[in-house]
Amino acid sequence: MTQEEIYAKLQEILKTVKPKLDPARISMDAALTTDLGIDSLSMLLLSLAIEHEFGFQFQTQEPFKTVREVVDYIEKAI
Amino acid sequence: MSHYFYDMIPAEELAQLHYLPTVPEYLSWIVSKWAGRPALSDTVNTYTYAQMGSRIARRRTLLKEAGLQPGDHVAIFDKNSIDALESFLAVTSAGMVAIQLPAQLPAPAVIGCCAKFRAKALIVRDEFRPGVEGAPCPLISASALGEAETPAAVVDKESPAAIFFTGGTTGAPKGAVLPHRALMRGTFNGCFAPGSQLSGHVTIGFLPLSHVFGLICGTLSKLMCGALWYSAEDMKATIGKLPVIRPTVLVLVPGLVEVLVGLTKMYGPQFLGGRLNTIISGAANVPAKLIAEFKNFGIQVLAGYGMTEGANLTAGNAESLERPTSVGKVYPEQEVKLVNGEIWFRGDNVFSGYYGDPEQTAATLTEDGWLKTGDLGRFDEDGYLYIVGRIKNIIVLPSGENVSPESIEEAFYQCPALRDCLVKEVEEDGKPVLAIEILPRAEAFEGKTPEEIEAFFKKLAEDINATLPTTHRVSKVIVRKEDFKRTGSLKVSRKDN
Repeated sequence: MTQEEIYAKLQEILKTVKPKLDPARISMDAALTTDLGIDSLSMLLLSLAIEHEFGFQFQTQEPFKTVREVVDYIEKAI
Repeated sequence: MSHYFYDMIPAEELAQLHYLPTVPEYLSWIVSKWAGRPALSDTVNTYTYAQMGSRIARRRTLLKEAGLQPGDHVAIFDKNSIDALESFLAVTSAGMVAIQLPAQLPAPAVIGCCAKFRAKALIVRDEFRPGVEGAPCPLISASALGEAETPAAVVDKESPAAIFFTGGTTGAPKGAVLPHRALMRGTFNGCFAPGSQLSGHVTIGFLPLSHVFGLICGTLSKLMCGALWYSAEDMKATIGKLPVIRPTVLVLVPGLVEVLVGLTKMYGPQFLGGRLNTIISGAANVPAKLIAEFKNFGIQVLAGYGMTEGANLTAGNAESLERPTSVGKVYPEQEVKLVNGEIWFRGDNVFSGYYGDPEQTAATLTEDGWLKTGDLGRFDEDGYLYIVGRIKNIIVLPSGENVSPESIEEAFYQCPALRDCLVKEVEEDGKPVLAIEILPRAEAFEGKTPEEIEAFFKKLAEDINATLPTTHRVSKVIVRKEDFKRTGSLKVSRKDN
């Protein structure tokens, strides 16, 4: 998958995890907490959804700060 | 024998359940009654009750070979694994005292706890071992089993079984000592929920075994009912296995209930395995919205009330939808009374004191055995208990009026656009005033500016203030942009915010 395809799929997942989120706000540089309102609970939900949709398991405990960091991680993991 | 809790389960099941006052009696009973049923699994290995009994007897051999005697303290430092659970049952059935260390405790703190609680041995997960080599006692590998089997000890129900860390009812962390009778009364109480309990439930140990809710209600009670218990060494990985494990009952904190609601909405009830029928939730208030959402999927969410010092559950609510703000009815074989609004309990579920801390023990436990919970409560005309607030959280206003912040927060929690809130005293123009910090639900304010969000909550505060006594009105609204600092159980921390 290319970065663009991962990004597009991640946008879809984010829309499911946060249904009322304005899709225009999901930029590559959007901060997960302050821009998208992802707190610790929705992060657990988001990471489970990503694992389910992309078919891999996160091997890190380090918190992600931006959408770009998540896309980069998924690209390496799959 | 008729009672709110006893009437929840079929009469033929009630006739089979008995309060067994010590761990050796309990263990012997479950191993023989459910011998051929699967007891413990990590999805790779599964052990029957008979096999579990044998493995625990072989673990007792290791304790004996280490020179340990009944009454000795043995610390356990592991994740929520089969090894950790069997180690706990081995230590307590050998008449020794288990010190349940939280898995997230830093290694130096583990070493400190071994010294403070005079541990004669530390049972440790192999991957944690390098950090705790400096412990002042011998280490025993949690994964090791002895060759031969050693029989359980005969213990007195008043002798200590385990020590749990707790914030206590009045502040700094302490070690609450639970005697066998208390641990086992909590275990017996946790067997009751509406519907059949002995027909072979499947559950997962999501909550820490170092906490009474995870160990007693989430594990020991389920084993008493002959359930299959799955370990959960990694929370996220285990949630991912729900479609395979297919649990029928789960014991959770509200934060986890919310995550499961989200997954069910996204992937359907099948993601939870498709046969979950009961969630028991405690440690914080369960929002009525979550209870209603799960009911739509045919899953009942039951709220409970308890504390470490009362061996977990002291009250439970099977009618969470009808009475969402109540913690339910008080369990049998307990006395309860309100003293100046504070809930006091007495019964064999009450702990025996804080280890090495007679002062705090005397402040919490009266000479005639009443546990002062530190919670303010009230009963309605039907005998349902409501928690109104915490004594230690009470804010004393300059006027001398006492305000319980929880009573104000409860009014704000009715607003669905609010995720969490915290009432506190702040200084404004040199004088203390009541303020509320609010964490909005981001999805409720899509496309709104910060000013609009603030205006929304100011209006909400004005509306709620109009319904409160003048002393309880908040005069400052602070809208947070970042999450509150939270406790280990994901509650908003009153101390750190």
